[in-house]
Amino acid sequence: MTSRRMSLGNRLLWRLLPAAPAAVVLIAWSIYWEIARPPPSIMPSILAVIQTAGELTIGGRLPGDVLASMARLLGGAMFGIVTGVIAGFIAGLHRPTSEFFNPLVVFFNAISGIVWLPLVIGWLGLGTALAIFLIWNTVFFIVFQNTVLGVQLVPEVLEQGVRTLGASRWETIRSVTLPGALPYILSGVRSGLGFGWRALIAAELVGATTGLGQMIFSGAEYHRADIIIFGCLLIGAIAMAMDRWLLVPIEKRTVRRWGLVAQGRGR
Amino acid sequence: MRAARLRLLLGVLLILVILYGQDLLGRATAGGRLDPALRDVTGPVSVVAVLDFTPERFHNERLARYGVFAGRDKTVNRIRLRQVSPENLARLAAVYWVSRIEPAR
Amino acid sequence: MIRATRDLRVLLPFILLIAVWWGIKAGADVSDRLLVSPPAVWSSFSYLVTHGILAEYASTSLWMIGAATIISFSVGVPLGFAVGTNRYAARALEGSLRFLQGISGIAWLPLAILWFGFTHTTTLVIVIYTLIVPIVFNTMTGVRAIPENYVLALRSLGASRLRIVRDVYLPGALPSIVVGTRLGMGYGWRALIASEMLVRQGGLGDLIFGARTFNQIDRIMVGMAVIGLLYIIVDRLLVQPVESMTLARWGVLRR
Repeated sequence: MTSRRMSLGNRLLWRLLPAAPAAVVLIAWSIYWEIARPPPSIMPSILAVIQTAGELTIGGRLPGDVLASMARLLGGAMFGIVTGVIAGFIAGLHRPTSEFFNPLVVFFNAISGIVWLPLVIGWLGLGTALAIFLIWNTVFFIVFQNTVLGVQLVPEVLEQGVRTLGASRWETIRSVTLPGALPYILSGVRSGLGFGWRALIAAELVGATTGLGQMIFSGAEYHRADIIIFGCLLIGAIAMAMDRWLLVPIEKRTVRRWGLVAQGRGR
Repeated sequence: MRAARLRLLLGVLLILVILYGQDLLGRATAGGRLDPALRDVTGPVSVVAVLDFTPERFHNERLARYGVFAGRDKTVNRIRLRQVSPENLARLAAVYWVSRIEPAR
Repeated sequence: MIRATRDLRVLLPFILLIAVWWGIKAGADVSDRLLVSPPAVWSSFSYLVTHGILAEYASTSLWMIGAATIISFSVGVPLGFAVGTNRYAARALEGSLRFLQGISGIAWLPLAILWFGFTHTTTLVIVIYTLIVPIVFNTMTGVRAIPENYVLALRSLGASRLRIVRDVYLPGALPSIVVGTRLGMGYGWRALIASEMLVRQGGLGDLIFGARTFNQIDRIMVGMAVIGLLYIIVDRLLVQPVESMTLARWGVLRR
């Protein structure tokens, strides 16, 4: 597209376009606020949101909340990734097993996440354990399914080739299957963390004492729309930051370093 | 292709049963529910909805849609409703978890 | 005959699960406040069905997901087309859509409750938001993936804009649109349950959350099972067949 000769003006426009929707929203917001002067519980002014953001960040509850949320995400995701990869390998390597358990997987995938909340509250109470369970639940199924896919898609020819050269079962898995499945596993981890983050907020909305989601929820209780709006934007920003600066580089570096090609992974 | 069509048909059927099954069942059995004395009412009446189980808050709330909820009539499974219009009476008769609808004394 | 056994074999892992579940419940003598035995869940299910409770709650959820899907589709697909066919619009909106994807519908729930109260409107708005983002995104991607040559070829033959939409854009983007809709419905169903848990105006989320208050573990489990079952019914018996049929008839299969 940019190979076509664009005037300087057009090039500038092209650069600035992604910011357009945000600009439109901000302008509409300011105009509406000036005209209608809605109460702060419905629509705070932009200034109020910025002020609140400052208050919460500097010496406020925000850093602790973000840390709490991230810790839960990390804990739950770690569980989910480890169990998901292990289970995924077991299922992926043994087709009869994966076929047998598939209906169960489909069913539990359908209820993964927040649907477990009422039941698990009774087991783990409100708080971090609950949040970690819900995140584990979400991350596990995504990583599991991607791992199974990755393992099953490793060309059998490669595995058999290594076996004929005398490699043991374990060595085959380590040197062929694992690297071969890795792009899919990492894709699963990336998706899983994204979904896990979203599930975390949902979990904290309903039952937690600290954390970003809980901050938003208590904002609602006190009719503080500014806290809610700031919180939601922050959630989105963290999701983007996590994806762009943490996960994509990991994916690129491992896949590139080991010279793996992810076949046909369009998403 | 044929398999897809069959599945779609099955799916649509299941959803329709869930959405409308109870309604249809209730309507089909409405006749047996209504006390003969209430068959040809022309204005608002007071009735007693008799259930064969102990109602939960859910049931009381649903019944309150058809008339003014007036507490129970002797036992907890008999619910009084006042000012039930003829249309609401017909609708009440089509609620399949109600056993009988008797005139209030 | 063979088909029947293959379909029935789907039930085997569930039988295993129920057996293990029952074993744990009875063997470890787990309290009823933590886990309830399979027969108790079954009798609770019968009760909820025969006393009109389950059908109503399930219907509420089904109507909601249906309405939200129709609205999201009707608004999202044309929007996706409009944006996808215009290079500048696509560039403008892509980043913002991605940003919104990171903020789940559930995160906006508190704001929606402040604006619309504890009503069905709140739930509808949240579910529509959850559904519409993947639909617009995927429609956009699908449209943009169509090689310009096809469009130019038809235009050079004198085809009207509408004709081009119908003969090139629609079939070309259809796989993406269908995938987006299906994805969206998955996310939407989850957001629906979560919203119902908070708004408490009916629906399966309300059912299981309400049962929590009275420690009715049997009802919670019935609710969870029904939530899963309904999603599988809608996804496999409604959406997937439609997907196969539209793709078979119109789709340019680019899997």
